[in-house]
Amino acid sequence: MARIELKNISKSYGNIEVMRDINLDFADGEFIVLVGPSGCGKSTLLRMIAGLETISGGDLFIEEVRVNDVEPRDRDVAMVFQSYALYPHMDVARNMGFSLEIRGEKAEIIKGRTAKSAKTLGLGALLERLPKALSGGQRQRVAMGRAIARDPKVFLFDEPLSNLDASLRAEMRLEIAKLHKRLAASMIYVTHDQVEALTLADRIVVLNEGEIQQVGKPLELYEQPRNLFVANFIGSPQMNIMKAEFTDNRLVLENGERLEVDVSLALNEVAHFGIRPEHISIVGVNEGHAIGEADVVERLGSDSNIYVNVENIGQILVRYHGDISLEVGDKFGLKFNLDRSHLFDLNGMAIR
Amino acid sequence: MSVDKLTISASDLGRRRTTGKIKQIAEPYLYLSPSIILICLVIFTPLVIGISYAFQSMHLFNPGDVEWIGFEHFEKIYSDRKFFIALKNTFWWTFGSVLLQFSLGLGLALLLKQGFHGRKVFQALIFLPWAVPTFLSALIWAWLFNPVIGPLPHWFVSLGMLDEPYNILADPDFALFGPIIANVWFGISFFAITLLASLQSIPDEMYEAAAIDGASKWQIFSKITLPFLAPMIVITVMLRTVWIANFADLIYVMTGGGAANSTQILSTYIFTTAFKKLDFGYASAVSVVLLVLLLLFATLLLKMRQKFVRVN
Repeated sequence: MARIELKNISKSYGNIEVMRDINLDFADGEFIVLVGPSGCGKSTLLRMIAGLETISGGDLFIEEVRVNDVEPRDRDVAMVFQSYALYPHMDVARNMGFSLEIRGEKAEIIKGRTAKSAKTLGLGALLERLPKALSGGQRQRVAMGRAIARDPKVFLFDEPLSNLDASLRAEMRLEIAKLHKRLAASMIYVTHDQVEALTLADRIVVLNEGEIQQVGKPLELYEQPRNLFVANFIGSPQMNIMKAEFTDNRLVLENGERLEVDVSLALNEVAHFGIRPEHISIVGVNEGHAIGEADVVERLGSDSNIYVNVENIGQILVRYHGDISLEVGDKFGLKFNLDRSHLFDLNGMAIR
Repeated sequence: MSVDKLTISASDLGRRRTTGKIKQIAEPYLYLSPSIILICLVIFTPLVIGISYAFQSMHLFNPGDVEWIGFEHFEKIYSDRKFFIALKNTFWWTFGSVLLQFSLGLGLALLLKQGFHGRKVFQALIFLPWAVPTFLSALIWAWLFNPVIGPLPHWFVSLGMLDEPYNILADPDFALFGPIIANVWFGISFFAITLLASLQSIPDEMYEAAAIDGASKWQIFSKITLPFLAPMIVITVMLRTVWIANFADLIYVMTGGGAANSTQILSTYIFTTAFKKLDFGYASAVSVVLLVLLLLFATLLLKMRQKFVRVN
């Protein structure tokens, strides 16, 4: 358990700066998720905290101690790799107890600690197996067990679930959440999967192109995205974004619809109007803000995703809770829940 | 009548079933027979004929006088002083060469794994001794050890290893070092290249996981790198041992087994017995002994591999 502080961290490869101005402060016992598209630098950031990548600029503190130049072995962090990185020549028990073995702990202590963490993860029967004789989910558990057994200051997870199939992923997600609750340890978790981010995190850090886009509680990011990138990245399906112009004290969409949005902008300023698919309802043809024609209907059982072609605006995605009797080609009106809409200026920054 | 008929047909059925079974068992071997016959012809025939010489009196001075003599050659080996000198030399020659080639080759592989400028060029250069014909390298090394034209004896004197510059190849106490040094120079690249290939197949994450688990450089080497290399080490050491034990060229050219038999190894002894003394029978008998010893060694090594090697 530890407080972690990142001050002006940057990372360059040669002359190319891939990360800059990373300032973060993680509280003791917090579950932090670093999320972003591939190549955004989230794994690099995690590896810098682990000590596997050098830090090009800035300071990293773990428990008030500057650790920029501290070897990974002396940072007392545990990491769960995407590929699990289990030692293939050691059985499960030795894999889990390896860090204790390295530390020169007594055999009984190692045995006790591995047995305890094996029990926590339901691995008791597998202790003598080699990794190659385990399934993907079991390997994942062993990788977590290896981290737990050593009782580190910080747990680091590098996309730990992305090699599992969907149902196993959901199951392990739940286990990680329980684990965090039980251990109350600091955890930093990297993923590109926003469901993992939203469900696991105390706070989420959204990264793009080596810069922090927004830091906040999961629902905060969903409800108040600070910019267009976060608006697009958080929430599935994605938010609908359309161009809008501010004229006569009203926001006017490209189909001529004047929206009653309480906002003051300069005259004729162009902006982006954003509305999530779940905040649009289907109404009669002349009752809504726009008229559209169903292009594709995806029925998921619990929800239906309706891709609607709207003249002058383009395609809008509507999420309807439950099943809906709609056919491709049907015409209807779309009503936006304006209280839950979002506005962004030309630079993509949120206005309200 | 009806009972009779039944019995006949039952036994008939049984017979047909057995012939069917035999056919079923024989069928795959029938398909394999061309390659089995070929392998027997190419590999086993010369081997069997060669081994059979060991039990015959075959002297090229008396070509007509070939006869079976049983174990007479082996009894002679038992009291042959030169054989035991050669056996001892073979052990030191093989052990010294393999140990030095392996440890230096492993060191070189570990160095080559580090990224540095001009690594590719260096890697190609290391392979060079391998490409030089053995006779040429043997001659070069023989000259290097010669105080008249080579620098090595003078360097040894400067380093205080020798009192005066003389040819160690002519000194029974040190002569074996000459071919061993030449052999090490010649064989390092084999270990360096094969072990480097094996090193490069170890995932980086193994090292990273170990570093995070708190392992020091030495612990990473002994607990991660070595177990990963183990299968390759066993195979290469086995191959090289067999090969070096049989490797007569270097010694034959550099010393001819000389300085009072101090560099005579079994394979040079076999060579001189067969082609200088023209005693093919005795040479075959010595070969059989060497073959058995090498087989024992290989079996031992493979057993060890089964026990210790867990990475596949």
